[in-house]
Amino acid sequence: MVLYVTAKTKEGKVFFQDQRIYMPIPWQFGIGDKMGRGPYEKSGILRDTSLPPLRTVTEKFYIPVYNESKKEGKLIRDIITNDFTVEVELWYLPYGVKDDEGNSQMWQKVTKTLSISKGGK
Amino acid sequence: MKCFRLLIIGLLVLVPVIVVGAQGEGMNKAKTIDELAKMYDSSSCKDCHAEIYAEWAKSLHARSIFGPAEVGRTAATIKTTIENGLKDWPSSGVKKPEDVGIKHLMICAKCHLPQLQEAEESVAQEIVKNIYDFKETGDKAAETLQKLNIGCLICHQRNAIIHKWKFGYPDKGAVYGSKDGEHASADFAKMKNSPYMKESILCGQCHGQGPNFEQENPTQCGTLYGSYNFAYRPEGGTESCQDCHMKKSKLGHNMQSYRAMGQMAVDMKVDAIAFQWRDVVTTTPAASVRVDLTNHAGHAIPDG
Repeated sequence: MVLYVTAKTKEGKVFFQDQRIYMPIPWQFGIGDKMGRGPYEKSGILRDTSLPPLRTVTEKFYIPVYNESKKEGKLIRDIITNDFTVEVELWYLPYGVKDDEGNSQMWQKVTKTLSISKGGK
Repeated sequence: MKCFRLLIIGLLVLVPVIVVGAQGEGMNKAKTIDELAKMYDSSSCKDCHAEIYAEWAKSLHARSIFGPAEVGRTAATIKTTIENGLKDWPSSGVKKPEDVGIKHLMICAKCHLPQLQEAEESVAQEIVKNIYDFKETGDKAAETLQKLNIGCLICHQRNAIIHKWKFGYPDKGAVYGSKDGEHASADFAKMKNSPYMKESILCGQCHGQGPNFEQENPTQCGTLYGSYNFAYRPEGGTESCQDCHMKKSKLGHNMQSYRAMGQMAVDMKVDAIAFQWRDVVTTTPAASVRVDLTNHAGHAIPDG
């Protein structure tokens, strides 16, 4: 399962993308450091980032809305846009890819519209 | 000398019984896919339980060894198990698909087709042949493989009793539900109460806890019942698999997982704010997003 966070300008240009992956990592034969892929080689859980039952998992994302440069030794941060949207999508990807019709499923989607004020000091 | 005579007499009486028992068991085993399908045929159930049967027919239980109708992914995974697992392991005894027997298929069939234990090696070979022949949905091999499934008689008879020493072995002439009584069926004239029918442990027989250690070469498919026992119940959860996957979902016997349950299982709350952070000379426009994901299911999501 993957949580995607994407920030876009009003024109649809993406300027930020991040994701979090939730899944148990099956252990290959219960030994060593490799993930087991097929059921025939899985035995145990090597690591687990899946969503635990009856608990809330909180994720925080920092979105820089600027392009950074240096001018005469000074740090400059030019704003990319004053108005933008942030799309948050939760996908279930049983085979690891979005482009997998009949298998991949979008479970939740929330879009937030945000603004950064112009002018002032 | 008297003891010796008694031993000989005892052996003379017992040996034929043992042989007849073994032959009887052998005679009851299916020799073909069709015979195995017939042994667990539940098509007559739809005469009285049409709605439930129609629900079940939409579920993966109805094509447990073939997999999703469009792609046959379970069959493909069994093929991968043979190619990447069995053929690769030096002590499996499998060098080519023709070497695959019941005990090899049982590493998948423990859950995908538990009744395979009641079949002869010829059925294992027929299944393997069809898995390798399968090319696309609708072809003959796909149709043949879909004759085998987790039908009514698996949950409502064969696997309906878990603690057999305490509650007795399943009665082949009965179907198990939530009460005792008569059952209007020529083949199954009795209705018996199974104490497990509404409990998660019924599902836990297959939607398991981790490695299947009873196997010579353990496999692991589902871990849901492990998560249910060791994560959900300790958090204070009280619902059963049936509560969510049959009742709350309103899907009845069309039990589904991620294709139908996701939105019900996980809540997502999003808070976002844009701001400008300033130091002496630089203004920094940014945004902060907080996402709270709450899993209401009786197990971790996803399953491993």
